[in-house]
Amino acid sequence: MNESPLTIENLTFQYHRRFEPAIENITFSLQAGQVMLIAGSSGCGKTTLMRCINGLIPHTYQGAMSGSICLFGKSVTGMGLADISQTVGTLLQDPERQILGSYVLNEVAFGLESLGIPRDEITPRVEKALDRLGILHLRDRETFGTSGGEKQKIALAGVLAMEPKILLLDEPLASLDPASAQEALQAFRQLADEGIAVMIVEHRVEDVLSIHPDVFMYLDEGKMVYLGDTDGLMDVVDYRRIKLPARVVLERARQDPAPVFVPAAKSHSGEDAELLRFEGVHFQYNENDPEVLKGLNFSVNAGDVIAILGHNGSGKTTMVKHALGLLKPTKGRVLLEGHETRKMTVAQAAHTVGYVFQSPSQMLFAATVHEELSFGPKNLGFPVDTIDKNVNWAIDTVNLKSEMDMPPLALSFGQQKRISIAAILAMRSRILMMDEPTAGQDYWNYQAFMDAILQMPGFDAVIFITHDVDLAVIYANRILLVYSGEIVADGKPQEVLKDEKLLRSCRVLPTSLLKLNMEYLPRTGRFFRAETLAHIQS
Amino acid sequence: MLVTWRYRLRNGLMEKFDPRARWIFSLAFLFAVTMFWDARFLLFFFIIAFAWYFSSRAKWKETRRGWYLIGFILFMMIVINTIITGGGAGGVVPPGGHLVWPQGGTFPLFDWHFHFGLTWERLWFAICQVLRIGGISAIFLIIPYTMDPRVYGVTFRGLGLPDRFAYSMELAFRYVPTLARDFGTTLDAQRARGYEIERVKGGIVKQIIRIAPLIVPVTMNSILTGEDVTNAMDLRCFGTRPRTWLNKLTFHWQDYALIGFSIFMLVGAVIAIYGFHIGNFWVPYFWLKLAE
Repeated sequence: MNESPLTIENLTFQYHRRFEPAIENITFSLQAGQVMLIAGSSGCGKTTLMRCINGLIPHTYQGAMSGSICLFGKSVTGMGLADISQTVGTLLQDPERQILGSYVLNEVAFGLESLGIPRDEITPRVEKALDRLGILHLRDRETFGTSGGEKQKIALAGVLAMEPKILLLDEPLASLDPASAQEALQAFRQLADEGIAVMIVEHRVEDVLSIHPDVFMYLDEGKMVYLGDTDGLMDVVDYRRIKLPARVVLERARQDPAPVFVPAAKSHSGEDAELLRFEGVHFQYNENDPEVLKGLNFSVNAGDVIAILGHNGSGKTTMVKHALGLLKPTKGRVLLEGHETRKMTVAQAAHTVGYVFQSPSQMLFAATVHEELSFGPKNLGFPVDTIDKNVNWAIDTVNLKSEMDMPPLALSFGQQKRISIAAILAMRSRILMMDEPTAGQDYWNYQAFMDAILQMPGFDAVIFITHDVDLAVIYANRILLVYSGEIVADGKPQEVLKDEKLLRSCRVLPTSLLKLNMEYLPRTGRFFRAETLAHIQS
Repeated sequence: MLVTWRYRLRNGLMEKFDPRARWIFSLAFLFAVTMFWDARFLLFFFIIAFAWYFSSRAKWKETRRGWYLIGFILFMMIVINTIITGGGAGGVVPPGGHLVWPQGGTFPLFDWHFHFGLTWERLWFAICQVLRIGGISAIFLIIPYTMDPRVYGVTFRGLGLPDRFAYSMELAFRYVPTLARDFGTTLDAQRARGYEIERVKGGIVKQIIRIAPLIVPVTMNSILTGEDVTNAMDLRCFGTRPRTWLNKLTFHWQDYALIGFSIFMLVGAVIAIYGFHIGNFWVPYFWLKLAE
């Protein structure tokens, strides 16, 4: 009799020192060749469920566990992490957190080395895993120098080389550009077709639907709300909490009132309208390295809400770091309110530009959220009453007022991300720049804070880097499309995003929302979210 | 993610040796040189060290940051600890000696008189320190620039350390550039919030509080990285069985020659010091003549 690769019955787990179970009474089984998609908002228990399956719970994370987990009919109770790891391969959310080897060959070989496989067997198995994912050409490259998409595949190859029967993927698309995400998904589907049971935890539900998952599980507050096929999920899931295909949202949102969204930043003319200008900006990190930026020319004006789109490693982050003077051009110049950034300190530039870094753990340090949010305004020399006012406004914007006295580092990743955004909001700079503001955030939360930020008066311009095309569709009034250090398109979203061929050449893929907006464009004249389109007469 | 030192193959003479032989040579050099305070011996070691260093073909531009740090440490050790306080010379330089300013001196403008106990012997000791620390620095500073990161772990395994310890050494080696990268990122993130490290002033407690925005995130990131690395290793069965190391190291004739030279150097140093009682602190005659 063929046993299911994975069978879970009444699984409940409560972390040590927590008062509520992280997951409760989870029961399901996963068959060979199936793709299972698990979705839910932040803190719903997705990652805990994965940890229970791959053995990190209870081996690394302690707590009270009940119920059973069986791999091919054999209970994992009493199995060592190494035994589990030979059956269950895990790809963590951020490949950077998983990669150990300094070179690709060594990284992919790591698990095989640990298992004591003879040396002459390791290299062929590594090459097979790399070839399976189409990255054999990276074999002798340094892992550090590879792009985000390549790192994802390298980490996956490291797991596949161990020939697991079950593959757990924890938000595998979070740091990938749209084309890389699609390639990764195709690779997961292919692995399932080859007989591996694949379990994907992902916020980007719509993307995963493109590979037709066989089973869908929806978790809410640690409980399994839905388990079944993907057709059924459209009826049970709240479209405001999980991002569903635009046409589904369009149909379901007709019954609800139309959302009200009025962006605050207003364009105006005059001497102070131009805030930032790049003039022939070239940049390379070292003189022997290739150029990262290749002659950028553009300006940012009051009223601009700019989305910067481009592939992993295209130079987007390097570009915005120039605006604040964190990097100086090797050729050309950057002017901030008419002053060259080369002649300013970063602290001076921070009065005009607020820059939210990608990872919150790189900046959070204070004992309380209030102190964290006061840090920037204090550095800029704001009076005490202004600081208090700004801090209160910022914390309201990210909807975390209840955590004001908590240490920021004790909050969840999603909350830390919002605190890092609030810390910059409190500085009330004229330009707000955000690097991947929605990465690792659930759909509900990121829409809520993007709505709040863009509707609050105070910023003359907002710039955000994103891989989420829908974020650009909904919020931007201008798009910069970047490819290999050059701006290949700069204009209104409806002008830039209509050229599908150009988008694909820049590894940006059209989404269902973009396609829907293109249909409605003759009537609307601009892009809207699906909920708004639902109330436009067809 | 742990990063590595910026290594590139330079085809220098040094790279023709097996990394295990290089470590044996470096450690033998360290133990041998630390036995001596005689400048004649130290000069011999100094020349060997820099001949070895230059055989790497590393450029000044690549290693200058390391040298600046060593220069700063040397300055603190020699100027403050040896020349000003004399503490660093304790136990090596005999008490007494020839004072550089036997009559003392007077500060111009203030007309303050001072007695400064600096001796010519202590000054010579300072020169010995430069030779000794300079030589050791040249031997060890060059390692990360010239050793392929792929062989860090297997090198320590080949030197007889257990698998776990050998891999820990590899991780420790890579921790230094990773820490530098994390520090740079956090500094940028805080500068973007108007923080200026140049403006950190006040007493020691106040200064520590003021650098918390840098220290706390870097420390927290180090802890998180440590946890990530442990999880990633656990999930790929690390430490459960004897490990196969993908990269294989093989000794060649030049490695045996280097190891032989290393043993000769170390044994020779032991015999010189303990057998013939030579190599202890010595001041040349011409130097003492300067005191007169």
